[in-house]
Amino acid sequence: MIKITIKCFSQVKYALGEKELVLEIDSGATTQDVEKLIRKKAINNLDNVSLSVAVNKKYISKVIVLNDGDEVAFIPPVQGG
Amino acid sequence: MIITPEKLNQWLDMGKSFTAVDIRPNEMIKELPLSKLNPVIADINSIPIINNDYVLICQFGIVTEGVIYEKELKNAYSLLGGAQAWDEFQLEKEDYSRWSRQTVLSEIGLEGQKKLIKAKVVIVGMGGLGCPAAQSLMAAGVGHLKIVDGDKVELSNLHRQPLYSSEDVGRMKVEVAKDKLERLNRDAVVEVSDLYLNEENGFGIINQADIVIDATDNIPTRVLIDRFSKESGTPMVYGGLFLYEGQIGVFNVNGGKGYTDLFPVSRPNKDNCSSTGMLGMLPGIIGNMQALETIKLIVGIKPNLAGKLLMYDGMNHSTQTIML
Repeated sequence: MIKITIKCFSQVKYALGEKELVLEIDSGATTQDVEKLIRKKAINNLDNVSLSVAVNKKYISKVIVLNDGDEVAFIPPVQGG
Repeated sequence: MIITPEKLNQWLDMGKSFTAVDIRPNEMIKELPLSKLNPVIADINSIPIINNDYVLICQFGIVTEGVIYEKELKNAYSLLGGAQAWDEFQLEKEDYSRWSRQTVLSEIGLEGQKKLIKAKVVIVGMGGLGCPAAQSLMAAGVGHLKIVDGDKVELSNLHRQPLYSSEDVGRMKVEVAKDKLERLNRDAVVEVSDLYLNEENGFGIINQADIVIDATDNIPTRVLIDRFSKESGTPMVYGGLFLYEGQIGVFNVNGGKGYTDLFPVSRPNKDNCSSTGMLGMLPGIIGNMQALETIKLIVGIKPNLAGKLLMYDGMNHSTQTIML
């Protein structure tokens, strides 16, 4: 098992009711696995929300395997102006 | 006859009666408007008959000198050095004390202020983000703003869009904003487009600017701005809001990454100010941060948010920045 920190922004924060979560996940788990977990936790509240992912404050465009201590941010586009 | 920019400026100061006639093509006029002269626009081949003194102005003062000589025009003066010389003269004699509190900053200085005065910024969307961004840029001395919005002022806009007042409800936002902004700095040019940015007009609007500010309230327009920003090489200063949070990013700088690189699949959703709610201070903060990043880009100040996304949370005032 590895421990990671999830940073939640905008709709993710409001869907989960948390700004930050610490999760224990299986070694070898990927960003995609964690996104599925987050969407499941949010029940249906993120169904129509696309999420961009940053690991350790760097945007990533592909699925990657996570390491112990990683910080994973889920960022939805926001449209208000 | 020839007149120098200095002499022409004396005429203005004296209140002398004369007519300025700008014979340049429209694209040149847009690029370098003649501040203070309120010229008549005329085609070179159909210059109107004017009985009092008049000053013909072309881009460099060469064409008008030839025209006056060839057509033996009476009472006509050619502006020496043309619009270019007039613009430079105006910049040189500018009273910079107005901006002394910012020119004293080593990162700005007089050179930075001159860059601001020469800069052209397009703001797409004159709502919660566009209003404070425009106000701050005008106050900072940006010489040319183009504001783009097809919307009218509504009563429910007033709590977060401080350029508009109760009596403006029902008027086009860009017209009201132009009136208010020009009062802030009478030497600046405020150009308006009362249309929404779209596939047809987007490139032309963004291509003519040094920087485009995305102050819109919908994702499809953000995607369009990103596309035209990339195609024209005009950096995009993005701002977005959700409840108490805001996002600011500076995209497409020197071929760097853009909005659609960060949000490749961004579906429009129902979350907007009218459905989720918004306190007016949040767009005030984010719009001003967009203005700050714009100033940094124009003057060349680093560090800035180029290639980054900053997220601000108004609840606990925390920020997080990610690299693209």
